[in-house]
Amino acid sequence: MSSQTTKLKVDPRDGKLAMAHFYVAFIALALGGLMGLLQTLVRSGKFELPWGIDYYQVLTVHGVLMGLVLTTFFIMGFQYAAISRTAGTHSPAARRIGWIGFWVMTIGTIMAATMVLLKEASVLYTFYAPLKAHWIFYLGMTFVVVGSWLDGAAQIMTYARWRKENPGKPSPLLSFMAIINTVMWIVATLGVASTVLFQLLPWSLGLVDTVDVLVSRTLFWYFGHPLVYFWLLPAYMCWYAIIPKIIGGKIFSDSLARLSFILFLLFSIPVGFHHQLTEPGIDPAWKFLQVVLTFMVIIPSLMTAFSLFATFERYGRSKGATGLFGWFKVLPWKDARFTVPFIGMASFIPAGAGGIINASNQMNQVVHNTIWVTGHFHLTAATSVVLTFFGITFWLVPHLTGRKLTKAMNKLAIIQGWVWFIGMAFMSGAMHFQGLLGGPRRSAFSTYGDSAQAAEWIPYQIAQAVGGSILFLGIILMLIIFVNLAFFAPKGEEEFPVGEAENLEEKAPMIFENWKLWLGITALLILFAYTIPFIDIIQNAPPGSPGFKTWGSW
Amino acid sequence: MAKAELKTNKKTEIEDSSSLKGTLASVFFLGIFLVVTWVSVYFLFLDRF
Repeated sequence: MSSQTTKLKVDPRDGKLAMAHFYVAFIALALGGLMGLLQTLVRSGKFELPWGIDYYQVLTVHGVLMGLVLTTFFIMGFQYAAISRTAGTHSPAARRIGWIGFWVMTIGTIMAATMVLLKEASVLYTFYAPLKAHWIFYLGMTFVVVGSWLDGAAQIMTYARWRKENPGKPSPLLSFMAIINTVMWIVATLGVASTVLFQLLPWSLGLVDTVDVLVSRTLFWYFGHPLVYFWLLPAYMCWYAIIPKIIGGKIFSDSLARLSFILFLLFSIPVGFHHQLTEPGIDPAWKFLQVVLTFMVIIPSLMTAFSLFATFERYGRSKGATGLFGWFKVLPWKDARFTVPFIGMASFIPAGAGGIINASNQMNQVVHNTIWVTGHFHLTAATSVVLTFFGITFWLVPHLTGRKLTKAMNKLAIIQGWVWFIGMAFMSGAMHFQGLLGGPRRSAFSTYGDSAQAAEWIPYQIAQAVGGSILFLGIILMLIIFVNLAFFAPKGEEEFPVGEAENLEEKAPMIFENWKLWLGITALLILFAYTIPFIDIIQNAPPGSPGFKTWGSW
Repeated sequence: MAKAELKTNKKTEIEDSSSLKGTLASVFFLGIFLVVTWVSVYFLFLDRF
């Protein structure tokens, strides 16, 4: 009996490393959230930043901390714990590599953050050339990526051990999903690592004078699109494999979940051009090809939607719910571990709809570089993903710290979820509408010489400041909950929920674990989508660009 | 006779608890939402370009 209990719990030594990741993630949330609030206030036109602080510096801090630091640290901590729970405690060697990865990422974060705060790197989170940051910023980002590879290596080691000990058996679903995400991350980050190591670092160190802007942006988006799936897949892990257990239901189909993850691995990488549809210098035929590949990602997304609806309906009907939507009412709405991620899932419907519009070859011109896009990724990343991460925090942090989610905290967590929803409805909603009216993204407040069109945008910018303020309140509530669960909640046992498939006889086909096959197809698709246009971009390159610094020093 | 009746009851119960009618309706709503938003912006595109 006791051995069974220990198996259900993440080993405390693994828990410690996961918690280390979460501390950094929530510090990033606190600082990055404050920056987000400042941005919306500046853009309302009613406030100005004091002490010579620059809007674009604040924007860079917000983007880097929220988009890169919060997400990467949370995901690596969560996946590390999920593998430990389902594939067994990590070996001392894997744990050591995990700790080295954590410290390398943290040192990299401190290096990059310091340069941004010193006003040496206001290059926004995309660090697009020819904006030129201090070389320490790029080196710091390299450390973050290399650290995440080490973190990923620790996870792969434990997965490989499980496979060796259990020949012929499909790996535990959560471990399988975590490994898919890690593998996708490693393949994707090769792009950003290449541009940083071979272009941006030598350029910022003064070893070369100019940079090929289009090559650097193409390598960035080779990484940048799978990056958003790297954020999303851990949320899908929770929706597919954890939420069914929380509500007391079953996973609709284990094989369907695995297949959808494999499709994400195949189709989320060879699609970066859909972020560059208005960029000159890329052959339109290849842009269109990548648009088609982008639309393939809709398939696993809709498979996910179907599977989740089916899990909920099956559960509701088993509880005696009748009628077309009776099952909806019997879901455990008073449980924050379900309700908060559910708000995230529901938000993915408008988020996905917006994504299809963004990726549509010609229609992209309506929204390109408008604040619609900012509204879009605040629904995907900053609502669907982040609310699911919060939902995971509500049970995972007390599970790892040997505490309990109290009734009061559960209630506060549900309030937090709704506060977030309301704030985001204002902010993201206003961003979408302002974007359709042509309002630009990545820009401080301006009346653009008192133009009539810009005047139309101001009410939406005020709505964004209202939404941003409500969201900041949501962040404060979340920080209170996190600190409570990490340090003050009463001691106890909180479950790490792992769902079971409805049909246990249905064994997942072993072909899903054939990495040679999936990595081979991934590589083929990438080579097919990128080789010819990339040669074309290099052969027909314009003269390189010198670096630009659009911001003044302190 | 009684046996047959029992069988019928059981069958109805199974059918009801495994019904995915709500799921079908939900994915249809989702599909319609995707189409409506896409078409709205498509007309905006036609209007502007």
